[in-house]
Amino acid sequence: MLRLLAIEFKRSLLMLARYPMELFGQIVVITLIFYGLFLGARYIAGPTAQFGERLDALVVGYVLWTLVLFSIGQMSWGIMEEAREGTLEQVFLTQYGPVKVYLARNAAGLLINLGLNLIILLIIMALTGARVRLDPLALLPLFGVLLASYGVGFLLGAAALYFKRIQAFLQISQFVLMFLIMTPFEQLPGLFRLLGFVLPMAPGVGMMRGLMARGEAFDPALFMIALANGFFYLGLGLVLFSRMVRLVKQRGMLGGY
Amino acid sequence: MRPVLLARGLKKAYPGRPAPVVAVDGVNLAVAAGEVLAFLGPNGAGKTTTIKMVAGLVRPDAGEVQIAGRDPHKDPGALAALGAVLEGNRNVYWRFTPLENLEYFGVLKGLSPFEARRRGLSLLKRFGLVEKKNALTQQLSRGMQQKLAIAVALVHRPRLLLLDEPTLGLDVEAAEQVKALVRELAADGQAILLTTHQLGVAQALADRVAIIRKGKIVAEDRTEALLQRFSGEHYVIELEGVLDEARKETLLSLGARVEDGRVLYWGDSEGLWRVLEALRPLPLRRLEKDRADLTEVFLRLVKEGGHA
Repeated sequence: MLRLLAIEFKRSLLMLARYPMELFGQIVVITLIFYGLFLGARYIAGPTAQFGERLDALVVGYVLWTLVLFSIGQMSWGIMEEAREGTLEQVFLTQYGPVKVYLARNAAGLLINLGLNLIILLIIMALTGARVRLDPLALLPLFGVLLASYGVGFLLGAAALYFKRIQAFLQISQFVLMFLIMTPFEQLPGLFRLLGFVLPMAPGVGMMRGLMARGEAFDPALFMIALANGFFYLGLGLVLFSRMVRLVKQRGMLGGY
Repeated sequence: MRPVLLARGLKKAYPGRPAPVVAVDGVNLAVAAGEVLAFLGPNGAGKTTTIKMVAGLVRPDAGEVQIAGRDPHKDPGALAALGAVLEGNRNVYWRFTPLENLEYFGVLKGLSPFEARRRGLSLLKRFGLVEKKNALTQQLSRGMQQKLAIAVALVHRPRLLLLDEPTLGLDVEAAEQVKALVRELAADGQAILLTTHQLGVAQALADRVAIIRKGKIVAEDRTEALLQRFSGEHYVIELEGVLDEARKETLLSLGARVEDGRVLYWGDSEGLWRVLEALRPLPLRRLEKDRADLTEVFLRLVKEGGHA
Protein backbone atom coordinates (compact mmCIF):
# COMPACT_ATOMS: atom_id res chain seq x y z
CA MET A 1 0.00 0.00 0.00
CA LEU A 2 2.97 2.34 0.66
CA ARG A 3 4.15 1.79 -2.91
CA LEU A 4 0.70 2.73 -4.15
CA LEU A 5 0.69 5.85 -2.01
CA ALA A 6 4.15 6.85 -3.25
CA ILE A 7 3.31 6.38 -6.93
CA GLU A 8 0.01 8.27 -6.51
CA PHE A 9 1.91 11.12 -4.87
CA LYS A 10 4.28 11.16 -7.83
CA ARG A 11 1.26 11.12 -10.18
CA SER A 12 -0.30 14.12 -8.39
CA LEU A 13 2.97 16.07 -8.61
CA LEU A 14 3.36 15.23 -12.29
CA MET A 15 -0.18 16.37 -13.05
CA LEU A 16 0.54 19.58 -11.19
CA ALA A 17 3.86 20.11 -12.94
CA ARG A 18 2.34 19.59 -16.40
CA TYR A 19 -0.23 22.33 -15.96
CA PRO A 20 1.11 24.93 -13.47
CA MET A 21 -1.04 27.72 -14.91
CA GLU A 22 -4.17 25.76 -14.00
CA LEU A 23 -3.09 25.82 -10.35
CA PHE A 24 -2.06 29.46 -10.46
CA GLY A 25 -5.43 30.40 -11.99
CA GLN A 26 -7.29 28.52 -9.26
CA ILE A 27 -5.43 30.35 -6.49
CA VAL A 28 -6.05 33.75 -8.09
CA VAL A 29 -9.76 33.15 -8.75
CA ILE A 30 -10.48 31.71 -5.29
CA THR A 31 -8.67 34.57 -3.59
CA LEU A 32 -10.31 37.24 -5.72
CA ILE A 33 -13.81 35.86 -5.07
CA PHE A 34 -13.31 36.21 -1.34
CA TYR A 35 -11.73 39.64 -1.67
CA GLY A 36 -14.69 40.75 -3.81
CA LEU A 37 -17.11 39.53 -1.14
CA PHE A 38 -15.07 41.28 1.54
CA LEU A 39 -15.05 44.59 -0.33
CA GLY A 40 -18.80 44.29 -0.91
CA ALA A 41 -19.46 43.67 2.78
CA ARG A 42 -17.24 46.63 3.76
CA TYR A 43 -19.06 48.89 1.31
CA ILE A 44 -22.41 47.95 2.87
CA ALA A 45 -21.13 48.28 6.45
CA GLY A 46 -19.25 51.54 5.83
CA PRO A 47 -15.52 52.38 5.86
CA THR A 48 -15.23 52.44 9.63
CA ALA A 49 -16.76 49.00 10.20
CA GLN A 50 -14.69 46.50 12.18
CA PHE A 51 -15.55 42.86 11.45
CA GLY A 52 -13.28 41.42 14.16
CA GLU A 53 -13.65 37.72 14.92
CA ARG A 54 -16.61 37.44 12.52
CA LEU A 55 -14.28 38.12 9.61
CA ASP A 56 -11.78 35.64 11.03
CA ALA A 57 -14.54 33.01 11.29
CA LEU A 58 -15.58 33.76 7.72
CA VAL A 59 -12.00 33.37 6.48
CA VAL A 60 -11.65 30.02 8.26
CA GLY A 61 -14.97 28.86 6.76
CA TYR A 62 -14.08 30.06 3.27
CA VAL A 63 -10.63 28.45 3.20
CA LEU A 64 -12.08 25.23 4.59
CA TRP A 65 -14.75 25.37 1.90
CA THR A 66 -12.12 25.59 -0.85
CA LEU A 67 -10.11 22.80 0.81
CA VAL A 68 -13.19 20.59 0.93
CA LEU A 69 -14.08 21.48 -2.67
CA PHE A 70 -10.66 20.30 -3.80
CA SER A 71 -10.83 17.13 -1.68
CA ILE A 72 -14.31 16.21 -2.88
CA GLY A 73 -13.95 17.32 -6.47
CA GLN A 74 -10.64 15.57 -7.00
CA MET A 75 -12.33 12.18 -7.14
CA SER A 76 -15.58 12.87 -8.99
CA TRP A 77 -13.99 15.14 -11.61
CA GLY A 78 -11.18 12.59 -11.89
CA ILE A 79 -13.58 9.72 -12.56
CA MET A 80 -15.47 11.72 -15.19
CA GLU A 81 -12.23 12.73 -16.88
CA GLU A 82 -10.90 9.18 -16.88
CA ALA A 83 -14.19 7.79 -18.22
CA ARG A 84 -14.07 10.36 -21.02
CA GLU A 85 -10.41 9.83 -21.83
CA GLY A 86 -10.50 6.06 -21.58
CA THR A 87 -8.19 5.25 -18.68
CA LEU A 88 -10.87 4.42 -16.09
CA GLU A 89 -11.03 0.74 -17.03
CA GLN A 90 -7.25 0.42 -16.67
CA VAL A 91 -7.58 1.63 -13.06
CA PHE A 92 -10.15 -1.12 -12.51
CA LEU A 93 -7.82 -3.70 -14.05
CA THR A 94 -5.22 -3.30 -11.31
CA GLN A 95 -4.92 -5.73 -8.44
CA TYR A 96 -5.50 -2.96 -5.90
CA GLY A 97 -8.93 -2.20 -7.32
CA PRO A 98 -10.64 1.19 -7.58
CA VAL A 99 -11.36 1.72 -3.85
CA LYS A 100 -7.72 1.43 -2.78
CA VAL A 101 -6.46 3.39 -5.80
CA TYR A 102 -8.85 6.29 -5.11
CA LEU A 103 -8.12 6.21 -1.37
CA ALA A 104 -4.42 6.47 -2.20
CA ARG A 105 -5.08 9.27 -4.70
CA ASN A 106 -7.03 11.20 -2.06
CA ALA A 107 -4.29 10.76 0.50
CA ALA A 108 -1.60 11.68 -2.03
CA GLY A 109 -3.50 14.78 -3.11
CA LEU A 110 -3.94 15.90 0.50
CA LEU A 111 -0.49 17.46 0.96
CA ILE A 112 -0.86 19.41 -2.26
CA ASN A 113 -4.35 20.54 -1.28
CA LEU A 114 -3.18 21.63 2.16
CA GLY A 115 -0.29 23.59 0.69
CA LEU A 116 -2.53 25.23 -1.86
CA ASN A 117 -5.09 26.26 0.75
CA LEU A 118 -2.43 27.54 3.11
CA ILE A 119 -1.28 29.86 0.32
CA ILE A 120 -4.88 31.01 -0.24
CA LEU A 121 -5.31 31.59 3.51
CA LEU A 122 -2.14 33.67 3.77
CA ILE A 123 -3.07 35.81 0.75
CA ILE A 124 -6.59 36.42 2.10
CA MET A 125 -5.19 37.32 5.54
CA ALA A 126 -2.81 39.79 3.91
CA LEU A 127 -5.55 41.36 1.79
CA THR A 128 -8.27 41.63 4.42
CA GLY A 129 -6.28 42.06 7.61
CA ALA A 130 -7.99 39.01 9.15
CA ARG A 131 -5.97 37.45 11.96
CA VAL A 132 -6.52 33.72 12.04
CA ARG A 133 -4.63 31.75 14.66
CA LEU A 134 -2.70 28.94 12.95
CA ASP A 135 -3.18 26.65 15.96
CA PRO A 136 -1.59 23.16 15.58
CA LEU A 137 -4.49 21.79 17.66
CA ALA A 138 -6.81 22.83 14.81
CA LEU A 139 -5.21 20.07 12.74
CA LEU A 140 -7.07 17.52 14.88
CA PRO A 141 -10.63 18.55 13.91
CA LEU A 142 -9.29 19.21 10.38
CA PHE A 143 -8.56 15.49 10.24
CA GLY A 144 -12.26 14.79 10.94
CA VAL A 145 -13.29 17.34 8.29
CA LEU A 146 -11.03 15.73 5.70
CA LEU A 147 -12.28 12.21 6.49
CA ALA A 148 -15.88 13.35 6.01
CA SER A 149 -14.99 15.27 2.85
CA TYR A 150 -13.39 12.17 1.35
CA GLY A 151 -16.52 10.27 2.33
CA VAL A 152 -18.64 12.79 0.41
CA GLY A 153 -16.05 12.55 -2.39
CA PHE A 154 -16.64 8.78 -2.59
CA LEU A 155 -20.42 9.38 -2.64
CA LEU A 156 -20.11 11.82 -5.55
CA GLY A 157 -17.54 9.50 -7.14
CA ALA A 158 -20.13 6.73 -7.02
CA ALA A 159 -22.59 9.02 -8.81
CA ALA A 160 -19.92 9.90 -11.41
CA LEU A 161 -19.24 6.20 -11.94
CA TYR A 162 -22.88 5.51 -12.68
CA PHE A 163 -24.01 8.63 -14.53
CA LYS A 164 -20.61 9.62 -16.01
CA ARG A 165 -21.74 13.22 -16.60
CA ILE A 166 -22.59 15.00 -13.38
CA GLN A 167 -20.86 18.30 -14.02
CA ALA A 168 -24.02 20.35 -13.42
CA PHE A 169 -24.74 18.48 -10.20
CA LEU A 170 -21.18 19.05 -9.00
CA GLN A 171 -21.45 22.76 -9.70
CA ILE A 172 -24.61 23.02 -7.61
CA SER A 173 -23.17 20.84 -4.85
CA GLN A 174 -20.51 23.51 -4.31
CA PHE A 175 -23.21 25.79 -2.90
CA VAL A 176 -24.62 23.00 -0.72
CA LEU A 177 -21.12 22.54 0.65
CA MET A 178 -20.82 26.26 1.18
CA PHE A 179 -24.00 26.13 3.28
CA LEU A 180 -22.63 23.17 5.26
CA ILE A 181 -19.30 24.80 5.96
CA MET A 182 -20.03 28.51 6.25
CA THR A 183 -23.10 28.17 8.50
CA PRO A 184 -22.02 28.55 12.15
CA PHE A 185 -24.22 25.68 13.40
CA GLU A 186 -22.21 25.64 16.65
CA GLN A 187 -23.60 29.06 17.55
CA LEU A 188 -27.20 28.43 16.49
CA PRO A 189 -29.92 27.31 18.86
CA GLY A 190 -31.96 24.08 19.09
CA LEU A 191 -32.30 21.86 16.05
CA PHE A 192 -29.65 23.78 14.10
CA ARG A 193 -27.13 23.09 16.83
CA LEU A 194 -27.99 19.39 16.55
CA LEU A 195 -27.59 19.52 12.78
CA GLY A 196 -24.11 20.87 13.41
CA PHE A 197 -23.20 17.50 14.93
CA VAL A 198 -24.65 15.21 12.26
CA LEU A 199 -24.19 16.96 8.93
CA PRO A 200 -21.00 15.94 7.11
CA MET A 201 -17.95 17.97 8.18
CA ALA A 202 -20.04 20.42 10.24
CA PRO A 203 -18.74 19.56 13.75
CA GLY A 204 -15.08 19.68 12.69
CA VAL A 205 -15.54 22.96 10.85
CA GLY A 206 -17.39 24.47 13.84
CA MET A 207 -14.61 23.39 16.16
CA MET A 208 -11.96 24.88 13.87
CA ARG A 209 -13.83 28.17 13.77
CA GLY A 210 -13.85 28.16 17.57
CA LEU A 211 -10.13 27.38 17.80
CA MET A 212 -8.82 29.59 15.02
CA ALA A 213 -11.20 32.57 14.99
CA ARG A 214 -12.83 32.85 18.41
CA GLY A 215 -9.84 31.73 20.47
CA GLU A 216 -11.80 28.97 22.23
CA ALA A 217 -10.09 26.15 24.13
CA PHE A 218 -9.75 22.67 22.67
CA ASP A 219 -12.80 20.56 23.57
CA PRO A 220 -11.96 16.81 23.53
CA ALA A 221 -15.66 15.79 23.48
CA LEU A 222 -16.33 17.95 20.43
CA PHE A 223 -13.21 16.56 18.80
CA MET A 224 -14.52 13.01 19.30
CA ILE A 225 -17.79 14.04 17.66
CA ALA A 226 -15.90 15.58 14.73
CA LEU A 227 -13.83 12.42 14.38
CA ALA A 228 -16.87 10.13 14.59
CA ASN A 229 -18.62 12.31 12.01
CA GLY A 230 -15.58 11.96 9.71
CA PHE A 231 -15.32 8.19 10.07
CA PHE A 232 -19.08 7.77 9.62
CA TYR A 233 -19.20 9.64 6.31
CA LEU A 234 -15.99 8.07 5.04
CA GLY A 235 -17.40 4.62 5.84
CA LEU A 236 -20.69 5.48 4.18
CA GLY A 237 -18.90 6.78 1.09
CA LEU A 238 -16.69 3.69 0.85
CA VAL A 239 -19.62 1.29 1.25
CA LEU A 240 -21.75 3.05 -1.36
CA PHE A 241 -18.82 3.44 -3.77
CA SER A 242 -18.02 -0.28 -3.48
CA ARG A 243 -21.67 -1.13 -4.13
CA MET A 244 -21.70 1.17 -7.14
CA VAL A 245 -18.60 -0.57 -8.50
CA ARG A 246 -20.50 -3.86 -8.28
CA LEU A 247 -23.56 -2.31 -9.90
CA VAL A 248 -21.73 -0.79 -12.87
CA LYS A 249 -19.96 -4.11 -13.42
CA GLN A 250 -23.30 -5.87 -13.21
CA ARG A 251 -24.83 -3.52 -15.77
CA GLY A 252 -21.74 -3.28 -17.96
CA MET A 253 -21.62 0.49 -17.62
CA LEU A 254 -18.02 1.01 -16.65
CA GLY A 255 -16.55 2.12 -19.96
CA GLY A 256 -19.46 4.10 -21.38
CA TYR A 257 -19.48 7.85 -21.39
CA MET B 1 -1.52 -28.45 -20.33
CA ARG B 2 -4.09 -26.20 -18.67
CA PRO B 3 -5.01 -23.18 -20.83
CA VAL B 4 -4.05 -19.74 -19.55
CA LEU B 5 -7.61 -18.54 -20.17
CA LEU B 6 -10.58 -20.76 -19.60
CA ALA B 7 -14.06 -19.26 -19.87
CA ARG B 8 -17.00 -21.57 -19.48
CA GLY B 9 -20.70 -21.01 -20.04
CA LEU B 10 -20.52 -17.21 -19.96
CA LYS B 11 -23.93 -15.57 -20.10
CA LYS B 12 -24.90 -11.94 -19.91
CA ALA B 13 -28.18 -10.13 -20.49
CA TYR B 14 -28.74 -6.39 -20.10
CA PRO B 15 -32.00 -4.84 -18.92
CA GLY B 16 -34.29 -3.97 -21.81
CA ARG B 17 -37.93 -3.56 -22.77
CA PRO B 18 -40.03 -5.58 -23.25
CA ALA B 19 -37.47 -8.29 -22.40
CA PRO B 20 -33.81 -8.30 -21.33
CA VAL B 21 -31.34 -8.13 -24.21
CA VAL B 22 -29.19 -11.25 -24.32
CA ALA B 23 -25.66 -10.16 -25.18
CA VAL B 24 -23.75 -13.37 -24.53
CA ASP B 25 -25.31 -16.80 -24.33
CA GLY B 26 -23.16 -19.69 -23.17
CA VAL B 27 -19.74 -18.73 -24.53
CA ASN B 28 -16.78 -21.03 -23.92
CA LEU B 29 -13.24 -19.91 -24.73
CA ALA B 30 -9.80 -21.32 -24.08
CA VAL B 31 -6.41 -19.84 -24.94
CA ALA B 32 -3.14 -21.64 -24.29
CA ALA B 33 0.30 -20.16 -23.74
CA GLY B 34 1.88 -19.06 -27.02
CA GLU B 35 -1.46 -19.12 -28.81
CA VAL B 36 -3.35 -16.31 -30.54
CA LEU B 37 -7.12 -16.76 -30.56
CA ALA B 38 -8.96 -14.36 -32.85
CA PHE B 39 -12.41 -13.69 -31.46
CA LEU B 40 -14.51 -12.38 -34.31
CA GLY B 41 -18.06 -11.23 -34.75
CA PRO B 42 -20.16 -8.42 -36.19
CA ASN B 43 -21.02 -5.34 -34.15
CA GLY B 44 -23.36 -6.18 -31.31
CA ALA B 45 -22.57 -9.91 -31.45
CA GLY B 46 -21.25 -9.98 -27.88
CA LYS B 47 -17.48 -9.68 -28.41
CA THR B 48 -16.87 -6.68 -26.18
CA THR B 49 -19.13 -7.99 -23.42
CA THR B 50 -17.27 -11.32 -23.50
CA ILE B 51 -13.86 -9.61 -23.44
CA LYS B 52 -14.94 -7.44 -20.51
CA MET B 53 -16.30 -10.46 -18.64
CA VAL B 54 -12.91 -12.13 -19.15
CA ALA B 55 -11.21 -8.99 -17.77
CA GLY B 56 -13.51 -8.81 -14.75
CA LEU B 57 -15.01 -5.49 -15.91
CA VAL B 58 -18.50 -6.90 -16.56
CA ARG B 59 -19.98 -9.42 -14.16
CA PRO B 60 -21.42 -12.47 -15.93
CA ASP B 61 -24.95 -13.66 -15.09
CA ALA B 62 -23.67 -17.24 -15.31
CA GLY B 63 -20.47 -19.08 -16.10
CA GLU B 64 -16.94 -18.61 -14.90
CA VAL B 65 -13.61 -17.21 -16.00
CA GLN B 66 -10.24 -18.60 -15.00
CA ILE B 67 -7.05 -16.73 -15.79
CA ALA B 68 -4.05 -18.85 -14.87
CA GLY B 69 -6.41 -20.79 -12.61
CA ARG B 70 -7.88 -17.77 -10.79
CA ASP B 71 -11.27 -16.11 -11.22
CA PRO B 72 -10.96 -12.31 -11.66
CA HIS B 73 -14.54 -11.86 -10.42
CA LYS B 74 -13.75 -13.46 -7.06
CA ASP B 75 -10.02 -12.95 -6.69
CA PRO B 76 -8.51 -9.56 -7.68
CA GLY B 77 -5.11 -11.27 -7.62
CA ALA B 78 -6.14 -12.93 -10.90
CA LEU B 79 -5.61 -9.57 -12.59
CA ALA B 80 -1.86 -9.99 -12.04
CA ALA B 81 -1.96 -12.47 -14.91
CA LEU B 82 -3.91 -10.16 -17.23
CA GLY B 83 -2.94 -7.27 -19.47
CA ALA B 84 -5.49 -5.54 -21.67
CA VAL B 85 -5.63 -2.96 -24.42
CA LEU B 86 -9.28 -2.01 -24.81
CA GLU B 87 -10.79 -0.62 -27.98
CA GLY B 88 -11.98 2.98 -28.07
CA ASN B 89 -9.83 3.81 -25.03
CA ARG B 90 -6.61 5.69 -24.71
CA ASN B 91 -5.54 3.13 -22.08
CA VAL B 92 -2.63 5.40 -21.02
CA TYR B 93 -2.31 8.92 -19.63
CA TRP B 94 -1.63 11.38 -22.40
CA ARG B 95 -0.24 13.94 -19.96
CA PHE B 96 2.51 11.49 -18.95
CA THR B 97 5.56 10.40 -20.88
CA PRO B 98 5.78 6.76 -22.02
CA LEU B 99 8.22 5.95 -19.20
CA GLU B 100 6.01 7.63 -16.58
CA ASN B 101 3.02 5.61 -17.84
CA LEU B 102 5.00 2.38 -17.60
CA GLU B 103 6.25 3.20 -14.10
CA TYR B 104 2.80 4.23 -12.87
CA PHE B 105 0.88 1.25 -14.23
CA GLY B 106 3.74 -1.09 -13.34
CA VAL B 107 3.40 -0.16 -9.66
CA LEU B 108 -0.40 -0.33 -9.85
CA LYS B 109 0.02 -3.84 -11.19
CA GLY B 110 2.22 -4.95 -8.33
CA LEU B 111 5.82 -4.13 -9.34
CA SER B 112 8.25 -2.13 -7.23
CA PRO B 113 9.02 1.35 -8.64
CA PHE B 114 12.56 0.22 -9.51
CA GLU B 115 11.34 -2.92 -11.27
CA ALA B 116 8.60 -1.00 -13.09
CA ARG B 117 11.16 1.48 -14.43
CA ARG B 118 13.62 -1.25 -15.46
CA ARG B 119 10.94 -3.31 -17.14
CA GLY B 120 9.46 -0.16 -18.72
CA LEU B 121 12.80 0.80 -20.28
CA SER B 122 13.30 -2.70 -21.62
CA LEU B 123 9.81 -2.68 -23.22
CA LEU B 124 10.40 0.77 -24.72
CA LYS B 125 13.63 -0.56 -26.28
CA ARG B 126 11.90 -3.64 -27.60
CA PHE B 127 9.00 -1.64 -29.06
CA GLY B 128 11.28 0.97 -30.66
CA LEU B 129 10.06 3.75 -28.40
CA VAL B 130 13.11 4.36 -26.25
CA GLU B 131 13.92 7.65 -27.98
CA LYS B 132 10.45 8.87 -27.09
CA LYS B 133 10.62 7.81 -23.44
CA ASN B 134 10.50 11.40 -22.18
CA ALA B 135 8.13 12.87 -24.79
CA LEU B 136 4.54 13.57 -23.77
CA THR B 137 2.32 10.69 -24.89
CA GLN B 138 -0.16 13.08 -26.49
CA GLN B 139 2.60 14.15 -28.88
CA LEU B 140 3.30 10.62 -30.13
CA SER B 141 1.86 9.22 -33.37
CA ARG B 142 -1.24 7.01 -33.15
CA GLY B 143 0.89 3.95 -33.90
CA MET B 144 3.36 4.80 -31.15
CA GLN B 145 0.51 5.39 -28.69
CA GLN B 146 -0.89 1.98 -29.52
CA LYS B 147 2.48 0.31 -29.08
CA LEU B 148 2.84 2.11 -25.75
CA ALA B 149 -0.60 0.85 -24.67
CA ILE B 150 0.52 -2.70 -25.48
CA ALA B 151 3.78 -2.15 -23.59
CA VAL B 152 1.84 -0.88 -20.55
CA ALA B 153 -0.42 -3.94 -20.73
CA LEU B 154 2.71 -6.13 -20.67
CA VAL B 155 4.70 -4.28 -18.01
CA HIS B 156 3.87 -6.77 -15.23
CA ARG B 157 4.51 -9.83 -17.44
CA PRO B 158 0.91 -11.04 -17.60
CA ARG B 159 0.26 -14.52 -18.94
CA LEU B 160 -2.83 -13.43 -20.87
CA LEU B 161 -2.99 -10.38 -23.14
CA LEU B 162 -6.37 -9.07 -24.35
CA LEU B 163 -6.10 -7.00 -27.51
CA ASP B 164 -9.36 -5.38 -28.56
CA GLU B 165 -8.99 -4.00 -32.10
CA PRO B 166 -5.23 -3.38 -31.77
CA THR B 167 -4.77 -2.16 -35.37
CA LEU B 168 -7.90 -0.01 -35.64
CA GLY B 169 -7.16 3.47 -36.96
CA LEU B 170 -3.48 2.74 -37.64
CA ASP B 171 -1.79 3.42 -40.96
CA VAL B 172 -0.42 0.46 -42.92
CA GLU B 173 3.11 0.71 -41.54
CA ALA B 174 2.01 1.06 -37.92
CA ALA B 175 -0.48 -1.80 -38.32
CA GLU B 176 2.30 -4.02 -39.72
CA GLN B 177 4.51 -3.13 -36.73
CA VAL B 178 1.75 -4.05 -34.29
CA LYS B 179 1.12 -7.31 -36.14
CA ALA B 180 4.83 -8.17 -36.02
CA LEU B 181 4.80 -7.40 -32.31
CA VAL B 182 1.84 -9.70 -31.68
CA ARG B 183 3.62 -12.51 -33.59
CA GLU B 184 6.76 -11.98 -31.51
CA LEU B 185 4.84 -11.99 -28.24
CA ALA B 186 3.04 -15.22 -29.12
CA ALA B 187 6.36 -16.79 -30.13
CA ASP B 188 7.65 -15.88 -26.65
CA GLY B 189 4.80 -17.86 -25.08
CA GLN B 190 2.25 -15.10 -24.49
CA ALA B 191 -1.40 -16.20 -24.63
CA ILE B 192 -3.31 -13.61 -26.67
CA LEU B 193 -7.03 -13.10 -27.11
CA LEU B 194 -7.50 -10.79 -30.08
CA THR B 195 -10.64 -9.16 -31.41
CA THR B 196 -10.66 -7.34 -34.71
CA HIS B 197 -12.91 -6.42 -37.57
CA GLN B 198 -9.92 -6.55 -39.88
CA LEU B 199 -10.18 -10.17 -40.94
CA GLY B 200 -6.88 -10.04 -42.82
CA VAL B 201 -5.18 -9.21 -39.52
CA ALA B 202 -6.94 -12.11 -37.82
CA GLN B 203 -6.00 -14.53 -40.59
CA ALA B 204 -2.38 -13.41 -40.49
CA LEU B 205 -2.03 -13.69 -36.71
CA ALA B 206 -4.44 -16.24 -35.30
CA ASP B 207 -3.63 -19.84 -34.52
CA ARG B 208 -7.30 -20.38 -33.81
CA VAL B 209 -10.47 -18.50 -34.60
CA ALA B 210 -13.76 -18.28 -32.70
CA ILE B 211 -16.70 -16.54 -34.36
CA ILE B 212 -19.56 -15.22 -32.28
CA ARG B 213 -23.01 -14.37 -33.64
CA LYS B 214 -25.96 -13.16 -31.56
CA GLY B 215 -24.15 -14.09 -28.36
CA LYS B 216 -23.30 -17.65 -29.35
CA ILE B 217 -20.11 -19.13 -30.76
CA VAL B 218 -20.96 -20.40 -34.24
CA ALA B 219 -17.48 -21.64 -35.17
CA GLU B 220 -14.28 -22.39 -33.34
CA ASP B 221 -11.31 -24.17 -34.82
CA ARG B 222 -7.72 -23.85 -35.85
CA THR B 223 -7.49 -21.13 -38.50
CA GLU B 224 -6.13 -23.48 -41.17
CA ALA B 225 -8.77 -26.14 -40.49
CA LEU B 226 -11.56 -23.56 -40.65
CA LEU B 227 -10.29 -22.16 -43.96
CA GLN B 228 -9.92 -25.68 -45.31
CA ARG B 229 -13.45 -26.56 -44.31
CA PHE B 230 -14.87 -23.64 -46.23
CA SER B 231 -12.60 -24.01 -49.23
CA GLY B 232 -13.98 -25.70 -52.36
CA GLU B 233 -12.61 -28.79 -54.08
CA HIS B 234 -12.50 -27.11 -57.47
CA TYR B 235 -9.96 -25.24 -59.56
CA VAL B 236 -10.56 -21.72 -60.81
CA ILE B 237 -9.07 -20.63 -64.15
CA GLU B 238 -9.26 -17.00 -65.23
CA LEU B 239 -8.53 -16.12 -68.85
CA GLU B 240 -7.34 -12.98 -70.59
CA GLY B 241 -9.42 -13.55 -73.71
CA VAL B 242 -13.00 -14.62 -74.52
CA LEU B 243 -13.99 -18.26 -74.89
CA ASP B 244 -15.47 -19.30 -78.19
CA GLU B 245 -18.50 -21.63 -78.33
CA ALA B 246 -16.49 -24.62 -79.57
CA ARG B 247 -14.17 -24.43 -76.57
CA LYS B 248 -17.10 -24.06 -74.23
CA GLU B 249 -18.55 -27.29 -75.63
CA THR B 250 -15.24 -29.08 -75.16
CA LEU B 251 -14.91 -27.80 -71.59
CA LEU B 252 -18.42 -28.96 -70.74
CA SER B 253 -17.64 -32.39 -72.10
CA LEU B 254 -14.57 -32.51 -69.80
CA GLY B 255 -16.74 -31.71 -66.75
CA ALA B 256 -15.81 -28.01 -66.42
CA ARG B 257 -18.23 -25.11 -66.00
CA VAL B 258 -17.95 -21.61 -67.35
CA GLU B 259 -19.20 -18.87 -65.04
CA ASP B 260 -18.64 -15.12 -65.36
CA GLY B 261 -15.77 -15.65 -67.77
CA ARG B 262 -14.08 -18.07 -65.37
CA VAL B 263 -13.63 -21.78 -65.85
CA LEU B 264 -14.40 -23.92 -62.81
CA TYR B 265 -13.25 -27.52 -62.78
CA TRP B 266 -14.01 -30.26 -60.26
CA GLY B 267 -11.70 -33.19 -60.69
CA ASP B 268 -8.15 -34.51 -60.33
CA SER B 269 -4.96 -33.03 -61.77
CA GLU B 270 -5.02 -35.34 -64.82
CA GLY B 271 -8.37 -33.90 -65.78
CA LEU B 272 -7.11 -30.38 -65.07
CA TRP B 273 -4.34 -30.86 -67.64
CA ARG B 274 -6.95 -31.94 -70.19
CA VAL B 275 -8.90 -28.74 -69.47
CA LEU B 276 -5.72 -26.69 -69.89
CA GLU B 277 -5.02 -28.42 -73.22
CA ALA B 278 -8.51 -27.45 -74.37
CA LEU B 279 -7.77 -23.84 -73.48
CA ARG B 280 -4.41 -23.71 -75.28
CA PRO B 281 -3.25 -21.20 -76.62
CA LEU B 282 -5.50 -18.69 -74.82
CA PRO B 283 -3.52 -16.57 -72.36
CA LEU B 284 -4.26 -17.41 -68.70
CA ARG B 285 -4.50 -14.76 -66.03
CA ARG B 286 -4.77 -16.98 -62.96
CA LEU B 287 -5.05 -20.63 -62.02
CA GLU B 288 -5.64 -21.71 -58.45
CA LYS B 289 -7.42 -24.22 -56.32
CA ASP B 290 -10.36 -22.56 -54.60
CA ARG B 291 -9.37 -21.46 -51.10
CA ALA B 292 -11.61 -19.57 -48.75
CA ASP B 293 -10.21 -16.66 -46.82
CA LEU B 294 -11.38 -15.63 -43.39
CA THR B 295 -13.63 -12.94 -44.85
CA GLU B 296 -15.59 -15.54 -46.83
CA VAL B 297 -15.80 -17.85 -43.82
CA PHE B 298 -16.92 -14.98 -41.62
CA LEU B 299 -19.54 -13.76 -44.05
CA ARG B 300 -20.96 -17.22 -44.61
CA LEU B 301 -21.19 -17.92 -40.91
CA VAL B 302 -22.40 -14.52 -39.83
CA LYS B 303 -24.54 -13.26 -42.68
CA GLU B 304 -26.05 -16.60 -43.65
CA GLY B 305 -26.42 -17.76 -40.07
CA GLY B 306 -24.56 -20.99 -40.70
CA HIS B 307 -22.72 -23.17 -38.18
CA ALA B 308 -19.38 -24.90 -38.49
